[in-house]
Amino acid sequence: MSDQDISKEEIEAVFPKAAEIIADALGCDEDEVQLTSSLIDDLDAESIDFLDIVFRLEREFKVKIPRGKIVEDARGDLSEAEFEQGGIVTDAGRANLKSFLSEVPEDRFSNPMKSADIAKLFTTETFCKMVVRLQKEG
Amino acid sequence: MSEHSTKTSGLVDGVALVTGGSRGIGRAVVERLAADGMEVIFTFLSNQEAADEVISENPDRKITALKVDVRDSHACRACVDEIFDRTGRIDVLVNNAGIVRDNLLAGLEDDDVREVLKTNVEGTFNMSRAVVPFMMSKRSGKIVNLSSVSGDKGGRGQTNYAASKGAINALTKSLAVELARRGIRVNAVAPGVIETDMSQEVRDMAGDEIRKNILLKRYGQPADIAHAVWFLCSDFSDYITGQILSVDGGFKMG
Repeated sequence: MSDQDISKEEIEAVFPKAAEIIADALGCDEDEVQLTSSLIDDLDAESIDFLDIVFRLEREFKVKIPRGKIVEDARGDLSEAEFEQGGIVTDAGRANLKSFLSEVPEDRFSNPMKSADIAKLFTTETFCKMVVRLQKEG
Repeated sequence: MSEHSTKTSGLVDGVALVTGGSRGIGRAVVERLAADGMEVIFTFLSNQEAADEVISENPDRKITALKVDVRDSHACRACVDEIFDRTGRIDVLVNNAGIVRDNLLAGLEDDDVREVLKTNVEGTFNMSRAVVPFMMSKRSGKIVNLSSVSGDKGGRGQTNYAASKGAINALTKSLAVELARRGIRVNAVAPGVIETDMSQEVRDMAGDEIRKNILLKRYGQPADIAHAVWFLCSDFSDYITGQILSVDGGFKMG
């Protein structure tokens, strides 16, 4: 699903609640949680925090968020082997990531990029978009 | 007056989920926690009569029974969702549901191995996976797993059971590490030989030999275990996590 399907209004409709959830899960102030905030780099999120955030988003927005959903969607039509090799994201994989995570500034996509570092790209907006997509999938 | 002399268990009005609570140790745990003013929900597999008896014999306590097969992860999740939707909290999880299918290794059938591991280990995984997200969000909680003296010391005719309890010990320690930063303590109680239905056959077959190996020269009672579980659920054990507490009368291998 391309970003043309998700409007600014749709993102902004989910943002307040998503920001509240992220702030609560990370134990920070709500005004620290901007749309552009990277959860790991700006807000110090760890893997257990991601689990908590996903759990709370599921309950709040009544969606089911499978593990690895963002990366799986970003991979698009590439196979796993075409997306990453030996823990490094391929050029094709990075192109798909950039296109999918259109809310993330270009300069944050390092080259080479380790697959383990993909989560560092995720921002509040990334999660808002995911929620909107899942709500539409019904 | 110093703070520690007035400290209470902190359990009153909390919500506890105990798996396998209709008989034996499970029942004793249910009653002990309920006696401290907790609302206790326990699961049982099929013995409706025993489950009803726990409730009817404790009329002044807040106790509910839910028929849940802990081997079914979806059923565990549904049960926990139901509890949380109704009460808004889960403070304590006691993973007690467990079975034995004793035999010397060469005499074990596929089912004897599979079912013991499925109920004892997977059951603990299933219920913990369902409950932990709620505790994580709340940044507090106590999980107590029922292990066994055989998980550490082994036991003749108990390769499957001992393996399952060894797994519980390892699970307990790993989960304690994972959840510490969310304020959740995870410990286990390892009972010795306790006078319950589950150990009847073992006690009948090898009673005297077993008692020789117990320093305190008696079998344990379900209440002995329930008190230990209660302690690990209470605020008194706030500085304890990742531990396996043996409650076995000083049980020696032999």
